[in-house]
Amino acid sequence: MSSHDTTHAGHDAHHDEHHHDPGFIWKYVFSSDHKMIGMQYGITAMCFLAFGFYLMMVMRWSIAYPHQPLPEWMSWIFTDGWKARWLQDGKVTGETYNMFGAMHGTIMVFLGIVPLGFGAFGNYVTPLQIGAVDMAFPRLNMASYWVYLIGGLIMCSSFFMESGAAKSGWTNYSPLAGFADGQVVNQFLAGQTQWLLGLVCLITSSLLGSVNFITTIINLRVRGMTWMRMPFFVWAMLVTGFLLLLAFPPLEAAGIMQLMDRVGHSSFFMPTGLFTKSEGLADLSGGGSPLLFQHLFWFLGHPEVYVLLLPAFACVAEIIPVNTRKPLWGYKSMVYSVLVLGFLSFVVWAHHMYMTGMGAAVSTFFQTTTVLISVPSVVIITAMLISLWGGSIRFTPPMMWACAFIPMFGIGGLTGLPLAFNLADLHLHDTYYVIGHFHYVVAPGILFGFFAGVLHWYPKVTGRFMSKTLNHLHFWPSLICMNLIFFPMLVQGMAGFHRRWYNGGDAYLAKAQDSVNIFGNSVAHNIDMNIMMSMGAWTMAAFQIFFVINLLTSWKFGKKANSDNPWNATTLEWATPTPPGHGNFLVEPVTYRGPYEYSRPDCDEDFLPQWIAPKNAAPVEKPADKH
Amino acid sequence: MEIPYIVTPRKDTGLFNSKIAIWLFLASEVMLFGGFFSAYVFLRLGADYPWPERTLPVLPGLINTFVLIGSSVTVVFAWASLKMRQWRKFQIFMGITVFCALIFMVLKAIEYNVKFHHQAVRLSDYSIMEGHLGFEMAGDKPVLDHKGNKIEENLIYVETSKLTFNTVRFHKPWVEEFLTEAEHKNSKIVLAADVTAITKEGQKAPEIVAKAGEALSIEFLNRLQKIHLAARSHNGAYRTAALRGEWVKAHAANPGKRDWQIASGVNIDVKALAPKLLDEISTVAFKVDPPTSFDFHPRDIKEADGQSTLRDGTVVDGKLEASPMVFHHVDAIDFQYLVMKAVAKGIDPEVAIQNSWLMKNSPFVQQAWKWHLAEMDKLKKELAVHHREPTHKELYRLGWKDLARMAEEEGGAKISGADQFKEEFFGPNYEARGAETFPEFSLPREQVGFAAKFSPAWNTYYAIYFTITGLHGLHVIGGALVLSYYLFFGKKMYLTNPEWLANRVEIGGLFWHFVDLVWIFVFPILYLM
Repeated sequence: MSSHDTTHAGHDAHHDEHHHDPGFIWKYVFSSDHKMIGMQYGITAMCFLAFGFYLMMVMRWSIAYPHQPLPEWMSWIFTDGWKARWLQDGKVTGETYNMFGAMHGTIMVFLGIVPLGFGAFGNYVTPLQIGAVDMAFPRLNMASYWVYLIGGLIMCSSFFMESGAAKSGWTNYSPLAGFADGQVVNQFLAGQTQWLLGLVCLITSSLLGSVNFITTIINLRVRGMTWMRMPFFVWAMLVTGFLLLLAFPPLEAAGIMQLMDRVGHSSFFMPTGLFTKSEGLADLSGGGSPLLFQHLFWFLGHPEVYVLLLPAFACVAEIIPVNTRKPLWGYKSMVYSVLVLGFLSFVVWAHHMYMTGMGAAVSTFFQTTTVLISVPSVVIITAMLISLWGGSIRFTPPMMWACAFIPMFGIGGLTGLPLAFNLADLHLHDTYYVIGHFHYVVAPGILFGFFAGVLHWYPKVTGRFMSKTLNHLHFWPSLICMNLIFFPMLVQGMAGFHRRWYNGGDAYLAKAQDSVNIFGNSVAHNIDMNIMMSMGAWTMAAFQIFFVINLLTSWKFGKKANSDNPWNATTLEWATPTPPGHGNFLVEPVTYRGPYEYSRPDCDEDFLPQWIAPKNAAPVEKPADKH
Repeated sequence: MEIPYIVTPRKDTGLFNSKIAIWLFLASEVMLFGGFFSAYVFLRLGADYPWPERTLPVLPGLINTFVLIGSSVTVVFAWASLKMRQWRKFQIFMGITVFCALIFMVLKAIEYNVKFHHQAVRLSDYSIMEGHLGFEMAGDKPVLDHKGNKIEENLIYVETSKLTFNTVRFHKPWVEEFLTEAEHKNSKIVLAADVTAITKEGQKAPEIVAKAGEALSIEFLNRLQKIHLAARSHNGAYRTAALRGEWVKAHAANPGKRDWQIASGVNIDVKALAPKLLDEISTVAFKVDPPTSFDFHPRDIKEADGQSTLRDGTVVDGKLEASPMVFHHVDAIDFQYLVMKAVAKGIDPEVAIQNSWLMKNSPFVQQAWKWHLAEMDKLKKELAVHHREPTHKELYRLGWKDLARMAEEEGGAKISGADQFKEEFFGPNYEARGAETFPEFSLPREQVGFAAKFSPAWNTYYAIYFTITGLHGLHVIGGALVLSYYLFFGKKMYLTNPEWLANRVEIGGLFWHFVDLVWIFVFPILYLM
């Protein structure tokens, strides 16, 4: 970290109040520096991702070998007491499967991908790309990380409670979720309640974060950084910020109401005359609406998908021009598309609810908007694809992931179309087809985009490259395994595999071995795929170890980056010292041009960074109106 | 490092940072309250019960409206004073603003308090009675429970002879309550029989874990819990290993067969495993000697004569005693829901009311209804002139004001004007109006369909009312805290950077206007409609 120190010293020459060393705790733990917070987000999110992945591995065992005890290489992590409570003779029970399933979804979406994309990449890169010294509200930024961490820990701590963690799916539908864990006298010690409390923390964190991001982007752009000179990354973060800002509150409302249902015995989402096996006729007033919860949930739920996706788009859109040495094709159309995408994502939510009997008129409306929203997504992905055309592509490690992102996300996106039509959805709803579609978007899509991002900005963060060999060992198996896991899901889904079968379908087989669906496929034909898919998942887990090794060892032993701008990129983050010190820039930069000026015929080099002054430019005056 | 545009606005956007932030924050607040207001619309349109209309006290709500509007004005004056660098005037206006917030919260607290002490019950036939529950009395003094609280007469009593606890799920505070109650009543809770179990592998005969007659205690239950958990872990490990072995054998015996084809034949040989397994003590029974009457909150117990179950899995053996719900003062009778149900079945409303349990069993209800019918005849004639009809609520609900009027007309009971004014805030004045207006009534437990305080549990209207106004109240408190911080701790910043303080007051004021705006929506929607 020697270069860091020099940066810091050089910077302090101008600002006397920062003379003292902040000390370990304030520098690495309670830091208000956007880069350190970004890394905290990144590391925490990756830990949660690993945990969520592990839950999935256990679930995949139950799907592939539902009658066999969980093998020791997976179950060693549990205590004997926990195993005795949650496994039946070592087998995963339906209850445990539901718990893991609900928490897998929650952890991956709310604790893994969003914090990694928006929290980590957004925090680290956005202020650098617009030439800001930090976020507009650094302490708010710190608070948003800590609230996120507390929320995550609250949710995960419920695994150790007598009631276990939440079991009602990541969507937490009432009335099921309103009743779950009702036997627990102190409701604050029930997993289902903890889930809601954790969620309220996460929403608060997102809210603080999004306010901070948008303010930073609007007000802290450096001189010359006009809107249309902002890198696509920043645009994507701006839209993500607005999605979080406006879509999360209705879910917070739903969460508060469900909390009232659980703790205050109200009936917001509890219909009249509810009868359960365990409780009999519910001692509730009734009169509530389960459908209301779904509306409020999906009002967040769908924009949330774009909150997951846009940061990955953002990373890939930065990596492609750098590695093709040509401008991003259709930058403006991409910007307008992402704005339209953001707007449309607020009016598609009920396509998750075709089966609730909302009525044909409502379904038709949402079917139309859903088809519409595919237009801007396709514009963006096509622009990325065309950006490759005629470029002199360097297959650097980040570029490999970026190139894999495009077709993988493409599969994810295109498989969504049949789900958008409510007639086709009748057949596919709640099958593995939906799981396959969604995971193609998120796992090989978004996660690949993030791997690309990590490899791309690693030299800026550490001054060293990540290992190419280890990356090959990580990339190719991951690419193969991803498809091994998720492609069969599409096939199984069309054959009618229900997404919530904890035993992978063989309980169904035992009852209805000969039943065949409209395509002539049957569960019996496709059930053996379960084993292959599970093997794929476990193999993929093994190969992620190379990524972890790469991430950790390259920090000290990676190949040194020869300059502050090792990829010869054009955006402002590469104008900072490596790694950037507190305050980021040695000299406040000025932006002279758009973000992707590669291979200009009038330049000697094949890139012209945003901060390089034109040869005959007048010297810039220091603006007087700020401090 | 210094962040720009904290105090002065950026030229091209015309905004300083925190002003952007507060507008964004307010946008998200709009979405939050928008979520709740949409929920209100959804719930009201979809309500399958008579939606309570105009049930909240209008006067305090109206006062609160003007108080908040006034404070929105003074907060602007406070900001303007700062801009003009008049600290004293800032203090005065900000002081008024914070004081207004205080008035608002006091009125709100009174309103909430009245609701939380107001009991409602829906009988099995859907007629509704409201009022104030009595406390258990011994002579003139209320009986206190072991914590020193008065006991409301809405409890379920079981003459308990035996208690069976679940060793994992037992709820500690409840066990403690059993112990103290038993001590009060000179009864003992002791182990009914010896607890015997095999607690170590290889034990030939079960060992005596505890002898009959051992007294109930938390420590004792904890000890059993430990034994249970240890045995469960031990057995789980053996059973898992055994099942693994069975699968190895099954795969060897059925080459090429799929798991699901042979799974039904793969089972643990429990007999062979039995010598290695321990006894899991999952329940433990205590006898109550002599049998004693324990009371339970209705929500905690599934009561039945003979054997009742508590929510934590405790089984209570004993005779169910009479557990009436005793209203010290009945202050409303409501047949709206009953009529709605009757009409749906094609029954004439008046017939349904005459057949209701209350009409048959309460002379007071009969008398009140007779008076009410006469009133309705008068009202119908009055309204007929204007070609209007009485509302469903007017027709089938006797609120506390109706009952008070009836008592005034028939018995001549009058209360002072000051007392009447107080009633606008605190609800019916039981002391001043007395039992002739609001009589006592005892409702047998088996007639109780659903009972709740006027809390979120009573119906979705009160649920959304408490949620929206509660959240709004939290916003008022939060806003008032921030504004008082500027008021009481702003001097230092005023002296060093008054413009920055003015900016802060400005964004605090923007938030305060938003809080006011929410109330402008809340008041008509919840109080007037």
